[in-house]
Amino acid sequence: MALLDTRSKDIRNLPGFGLTATLAVAFLYAPILFLVLYSFNSGRSISRLDGLSWQWYQAVFANEEIAGAALNSVLLAVIAASVATVMATAAALAMVRMKVRRKAAAYAVLNFPLMVPEIVTAIASLIFFSSVGLGLGFGSLVIAHTTFCIPFAYLPITARLTSMDPALESAAADLFARPWRRFTLITLPLLAPGLMSGWLLAFIVSLDDFIISSMLSGPGSTTLPVHIYSMLRLGITPEVNAVSSLMVLVSALVVITSGLIARKQT
Amino acid sequence: MRALAILLLTAAPALAEGDLFIYTWGEYTPPDLVAKFEAEFGVKVHIDSYDSMETMLAKLRAGGAGFDIIVPGDATMQVLIAEDMVEKIDVFAMPNFANVDDKWREVYWDPKREYSAPWAWGSTAFAVDTAVVTGDVSSLAALFAPAEEVKGRINMLRDMNAVIETAQFYLGVPRCNESADDMKKVLDLLETQKAWVKSYDSESKELLVSGEAVVSMTWNGYAMRARDEKPTITYVYPKEGYTGWMDNVAVPKGAPNLDNAKAWVNFVMAPENAAMITNYARYSNGIKGSEAFIEPALAAAPEINPPADAPAPEFIPTCSPEATALIDKVWTKLMN
Repeated sequence: MALLDTRSKDIRNLPGFGLTATLAVAFLYAPILFLVLYSFNSGRSISRLDGLSWQWYQAVFANEEIAGAALNSVLLAVIAASVATVMATAAALAMVRMKVRRKAAAYAVLNFPLMVPEIVTAIASLIFFSSVGLGLGFGSLVIAHTTFCIPFAYLPITARLTSMDPALESAAADLFARPWRRFTLITLPLLAPGLMSGWLLAFIVSLDDFIISSMLSGPGSTTLPVHIYSMLRLGITPEVNAVSSLMVLVSALVVITSGLIARKQT
Repeated sequence: MRALAILLLTAAPALAEGDLFIYTWGEYTPPDLVAKFEAEFGVKVHIDSYDSMETMLAKLRAGGAGFDIIVPGDATMQVLIAEDMVEKIDVFAMPNFANVDDKWREVYWDPKREYSAPWAWGSTAFAVDTAVVTGDVSSLAALFAPAEEVKGRINMLRDMNAVIETAQFYLGVPRCNESADDMKKVLDLLETQKAWVKSYDSESKELLVSGEAVVSMTWNGYAMRARDEKPTITYVYPKEGYTGWMDNVAVPKGAPNLDNAKAWVNFVMAPENAAMITNYARYSNGIKGSEAFIEPALAAAPEINPPADAPAPEFIPTCSPEATALIDKVWTKLMN
C-alpha cells in the first residue's frame, strides 16, 4: 500500500508525462542542435549542409574582432561574478544568521534586478552613468553587471547557508574562536559549494547578457553577445553559428560544473 | 570601494595620441584596411560594434560615448546633422574627395558632403530563380501580378518600410506618402498579393537557395550570396524603381582623436582602400577607380554593379509623422 502511494505521487507516473517532457526538451534544444550542426558546414549556407569542416571555427579563432570581444566578455564576467559573490555572501550571512529589521524589504531590494525588466535597467543605467559623468565603457559595465549578478549569486549561497547547522559555529564560539576565525575556519569552508555555484551562475548570467551590455559598452569594451548581434547585419553565416556554438559549450560546461558541485553538497 | 575606484580609473581606455575608436557594424571593417592605416599613421585602431542604429543614436544622445568614427546609414546621417551631433569636418575639401563618384557628392543626407564620406551602399529589390520563372522579369509585376507557377512561392521581406515602398513603386505613387487614398491602394494591392505570398521573412537568401521561394524581395548582398550557392538566382533592378541605402563615415561631436578621425575619413576615400571594403563586406563603395582593385568575381557581379540601363536607386529619408502613421496602419492591417 505504501509502495503504491509513492508510485502514484511520482511525477513520472502522471499521464502524458513522457510526451510532454520529450516535446519540451525538443522545443528547447532542437534549434541549438541545428545551430551546432551547421557550424560545421563546409559551405556558406545555414540551411543546406554541403559537407563537414572546421573552417568556420578556424575563421572565428583567426578573427581579431571576435577575440577582443570574447576577452572583454570573460574579463567582465570574472570581475562582476567575483564582486557579486562577495556582496551576496555578506548579504546572505546577514539575512540568515543575524537579526535584520524589515527582512522582507531587504529581500525585495536584493532581488530587485530580477523583477525589473532588463531594458528599463539598461536605459536607466545609460542615462545615469552619462549624466554623472562616469561615461560608457568597461567601468560602467562592471557596475551594472555586478548589480544584476548579485541576486543570482545570492540564491545558491542562501540555500547552502540555510542548510548548514548553526551549532557548528556555536561550538567554535564556545571554544573561544573569534568571529573572524570562526568565519574562515568553519563558515567559509562549509559554504564553499554554495559560493562556487553562486559564482558560476553569476558568471554565466554576465557572460550571456546582451541588453545592458549593448547600452553601456563604450570604446574598447564591446562584449561577445553584442558583437554577435552586430554580425547579423551582413547576413548569418556559419561563422555566427560557430561562435554561438562555442558560447553554448562554455555555458554548458559551467552549468554542468555548477550541477556537480550542487550534487556533492547533498 | 577603493579597489572599485582604481578599477574604474584603469578601465577607462587610454586616450593617448595614436588611438582611433571606430563604432560600426560587426565584421564590416576589413582587417587589412585597419592594418594598413595603423602602419601608415602609427595609430592603434579599436573597433566596437553596435547592434542597431537606435543603440548608436541612444549612446551619442546620452553624450560622452568617446568614439571617433561612426558609420551611420543615410537616414540616420540626416538626423545626426539636424541634431548637431557630428563634427563638420569638410569632407569635400579633403584630398581624396576627388575620388568620390559624382553620384555620391550631392546626397540628401549631407548635401555638400561637409560631414560624411561614402563607406558602402546597396539596394533593396527582388530576385528570381530563372530555372523556374521564365519570361520577362524586369518589372515588379513578378511580385504583384505573378504567373501561375509563382503563386504561393513568393517571399516578401519582413521589413515594413521596404514592403510598402516596393508596393508604392509598383503603383507609381510617392514614397513617404501622406495621402490616405494612395495608402488605401497600397493596402489593397498588398492584401491581394498576400494570398500568393508564402512568407514575410527577411532570410531571403536561405529561402531562395532552398527553393521555398522562387521570387523574393531581397537585399542585393543577400542575392549575391544566394547566387554563389545557386547560379540560377538573378537579382532584378525593377524598371518601376527600387530603394538604395548608403552607410557613411562620420565623426561624432567631441571625438577624442579628431585628427586621426579625419585621417581615417580621407583614407577610406582612396580607391585601393575603398576596394578593400568591397572585397571584405561585399558591397559597392562609392569611389571611382576602385574597380581596378576589386576581386574580379565581385567586380563583375551584377548585384553590386547595376547595369547601365537600370534606374538609379531612390534614397528615402525618414518620413513625416503623418506618413509614418499611415505606413504603420497599413502594415498592422496587412499582418493581421
